[in-house]
Amino acid sequence: MALRWSRMSPQLALTPAVAITLVAFVGSILWTIYVSFTSSKAFATYGIDFADWARQYERLFKDKGWTIALKNMLVLGIGSFLAIVFGFILAALIDREKRGEGFFRTVFLYPLAVSLIVTGVAWRWMFNPSFGLQGALHSIGLTWISFDWLSKPETAMYGIILASVWQGAGFYMALMLSGLKSINTEIWSAARLDGVSFWRLYAEIIIPMMKFTFLTCAILLSLGVVKAYDIVVAMTNGGPGQATWVPGYFTINAYWVKSNLAYASAAAVLMLGITALIFLPLVLLTAWRERARTA
Amino acid sequence: MTMVFSSGEAVGDSAPRFPRKRKGISGRSIAILVFLSICAAFFLVPLYVIITTSFKTMEQIREGAIFSLPSPITIEPWINAWDNACSGIRCEGLKVGFWNSVAILLPSLALSMILSSVTGYALALWNVRWAGTFLFLLFICAFVPFQIIMIPLIILSSGLKVYGTIWGIAIIHAVLSMPFLTLVFRNYYKGIPQEIMSAAMMDSGSFWRIFGEIIVPMSGNIFIVVLILQVTSIWNDFLLGLTFGGLGTQPMSVVLANVVITTTGEAAYNENMAAALLTAIPPLVIYFVLGKFFVQGITAGAIKG
Repeated sequence: MALRWSRMSPQLALTPAVAITLVAFVGSILWTIYVSFTSSKAFATYGIDFADWARQYERLFKDKGWTIALKNMLVLGIGSFLAIVFGFILAALIDREKRGEGFFRTVFLYPLAVSLIVTGVAWRWMFNPSFGLQGALHSIGLTWISFDWLSKPETAMYGIILASVWQGAGFYMALMLSGLKSINTEIWSAARLDGVSFWRLYAEIIIPMMKFTFLTCAILLSLGVVKAYDIVVAMTNGGPGQATWVPGYFTINAYWVKSNLAYASAAAVLMLGITALIFLPLVLLTAWRERARTA
Repeated sequence: MTMVFSSGEAVGDSAPRFPRKRKGISGRSIAILVFLSICAAFFLVPLYVIITTSFKTMEQIREGAIFSLPSPITIEPWINAWDNACSGIRCEGLKVGFWNSVAILLPSLALSMILSSVTGYALALWNVRWAGTFLFLLFICAFVPFQIIMIPLIILSSGLKVYGTIWGIAIIHAVLSMPFLTLVFRNYYKGIPQEIMSAAMMDSGSFWRIFGEIIVPMSGNIFIVVLILQVTSIWNDFLLGLTFGGLGTQPMSVVLANVVITTTGEAAYNENMAAALLTAIPPLVIYFVLGKFFVQGITAGAIKG
């Protein structure tokens, strides 16, 4: 389409973007991977001891904090899947019962406009053991309920999950809703005429039809879980002890608190590896959709 | 019934999927509405609690009834949160953070919009041989965790003497949002009909003239969507502000976190809640006023993937 004489302009216009990609992304990633094999402390040193090149990674897997972080990432991932399930249920109900659609959509989605720091601060207050929800429930006689999750290592992660679901469910609802709306209206009425029951309609027709949407949601959620950081800082700041450490928190802590560049880099490389594992299906999914579209 | 089977425009979004009798409300509908209302309460309770807490006195908060309405109502927590709440040893409230956030927001919006729209336009409508490879690279960059590029970016920005400055944070925002926004713009421009581009070419339009005279006037909608997406995500950002902000240049969210987390002695919960609300108000206003664009923005990337 382009005329020969104007070929240089687009190339020129792309220069900043290419430079950014090569320096800030590709170059920086390679740098971090390289440094993770060195023994840099507060400043980068570039010599690699080849006899002991994996020392940071070996240390990492012996580090209790890293094990906790990985375990918490899994817990957060599994727990956050509630947001997708919850989002789908809300979307299906809103889509079925048209009354109040605008109101419910607005209410379910507003937490997304609020930052994770604000979300965390708000829920931190709700979880306050003496003045928060627990206090209110105890004062009306429900003393058997404990709602001071954040102050106990065993339950602190659940508090973070609850706040994440509160913040994120609306996003999945919005995605599901647009997925549901793109389903051909004829299917609904055909199912109605055939007398297909409510549950079978969803289980056997609607959900399989929305497999792309579900997969997209699952991948986006997983990527978010790997990156989780803000919500942890705002709610527990990693505590009690190391109970709510996640990989993102671990990496930043290794850099700022332990000032160990190589160690932080190694943790970041593993985060990238986990992201790549999740990302692979996304690439395949995109290719698959492209094929489905052209076929 | 038959109208539902007629194809095409007759079946709009407003047509009921399950045609039902208009009058009356079925038991199932009531059940659904009740369930949805309970869910709505779950989403609204934290907002109610923060708002009421922020207007209470500490004496009332110590009574422990979190759901009670404030009596007496006081706006002192709001004034304190804005003006003299302490983060660490500095007691300047959130006002400094607020103006920092504004100062970060404006240049980084301008930078990121120009950079990404031009890049998206060049990739979508012009023949660039390596466009496919580059797009794939951008797609990957858009999902990379920040931690993997954090340390080199800190070193780079210190080398360029922008580390810890407002401009440093603004530039980093523009740089890091470039891959994703470029993809959004590129997807939008890909939908512009061939004929328009061909006609523009015939008209001896150069790369920049076509962009300025034809493409930009056509992209009002996408500019608003991206603008809102960027305003909310830059305003709500914490990690970049924390990493690249120096003393006195930290954005509002970082100041908020410091105020809430680093309290010594008894925390002033009412002040904390007022501080959280002050931080949340700008994006919330955008959401309630321009909700449609907001939703388009957050779902743009996900759906077009």
